[in-house]
Amino acid sequence: MSIESLKQYADLSFDRALAKKNALERAESRQIMAYRDHLFRADPETICLVKTLQEQKQFYMLDTNKNPCLIDNPAEFLSLLIERNQESLNAYHQLHQTLKQKRV
Amino acid sequence: MSKGVLLYCFDTEQTQYHRIMDRCISLIKKNLALDITVITNERTLSAWSNKENCNTIVVEQEVGNRRNRQDWYNLDRCHAYDLSPYDKTLLLDIDYFCYTDNLLQYLESDYDFLISNSIHDLTGRDLYKFSTNSVIPMVWATVIMFKKSAKARSIFNMVKHIKSNYQYFCELYRIDFKNFRNDYAFAMALNQIDADSNQNFFPVNLPTLPVDATVVSFQDKGIDFRFNDKIMYIRDQDVHVLNKEIANV
Repeated sequence: MSIESLKQYADLSFDRALAKKNALERAESRQIMAYRDHLFRADPETICLVKTLQEQKQFYMLDTNKNPCLIDNPAEFLSLLIERNQESLNAYHQLHQTLKQKRV
Repeated sequence: MSKGVLLYCFDTEQTQYHRIMDRCISLIKKNLALDITVITNERTLSAWSNKENCNTIVVEQEVGNRRNRQDWYNLDRCHAYDLSPYDKTLLLDIDYFCYTDNLLQYLESDYDFLISNSIHDLTGRDLYKFSTNSVIPMVWATVIMFKKSAKARSIFNMVKHIKSNYQYFCELYRIDFKNFRNDYAFAMALNQIDADSNQNFFPVNLPTLPVDATVVSFQDKGIDFRFNDKIMYIRDQDVHVLNKEIANV
C-alpha cells in the first residue's frame, strides 16, 4: 500500500469518526424532552427505570439536573420516552448507513 | 404564559451583524415559530431591511469594550431580563442557528434559568476546555432560557453588579480574560447567587463551530464548512458559528 493511499485511508477514518461523533451528539440533543415541567433524557437508563417502576401508580424520578419529579402516569411517560429515543436513533441510523458505505 | 426569543444586534465598523441576524431569524421562524424581539440601535435599525414581523427595542448600546482591536458591543446583555416582553425568554446570540426545534423543550420546562456549561466542538478537537482559566466552571451565554422570576432577576442583577466591578471579580475568581465577557460574568453571577448544587444547566453540549472553520454555504437543513482543507457539513443540528465572516456568505 502506497503512502498516498495510507494517508487517504487515515483521512477517511478521521472524517468518519468525526461525523459519527457529531451525529451522536445530535442524537443526544434530540433525546432531551420536557415532561411535567422537568427535563429528561430519553436514553436507555431512563427508559429502563420507568419500565421497572411502571407497575407502581406513581413514583419520583430525578430530572437531568437532579431535581425530583413526580411521575403519576408512567405509561404515558414511557411511551413519550420511547418515541423520542427511537426518533433520535432512527436519524442516527440513517447517517451510520451512509458512513458505512464510504470507501477510499 | 408568553414565550419568545430575544436577540441583541449592534453593527460595528467591521461587521454587519444584522446580516448574520437575518439568517438566525429566518431559522427561528421556520423551526421554533416563536415571537422575536430584537434589541438594537438606530444605526443598525436603519441598515437592517428585513425587520418585518419582528419587534424591535431601540437602545443606545454601551461602548468601551474591545476585542482583537475592534469594538465589541457585548455590555448590554445584563439588561435582557428588564427588556424582555416575554414570561419565558430564549436569549440567543445572533450567530446561533436553530436548525431544529430542540430549544422548544426548554421552554416547556419550569426552570427559572438555564445556561450551557459545556461545548461540543464540531471539528472534533475539544478546543473549549477552559478549566485552567478561572477557579470556577465556565458557562456559555450563547443560549440562555429564563423565566420572569425572582431567581432569574437576581442573576441578571448580579451580572450588572459584576459588570460594574469587573476587574475586582476577575481577581477574585482568577479569571485571566480581562475584557468584559458575558460567559464569565454569568459564571460568576451563578456562583454568587447559588451554591453549586442549585445551579441548573442545559443537559446538552453547545454545538460550536470554531473560528478557524469557515462556513462555505447555508443550506435548508444545515451548513457546509471548510476545515483543514476539507469540506464538511452539519445537518439537522443547531450550531453556534464563531467565524464572523458568515456575514458575507
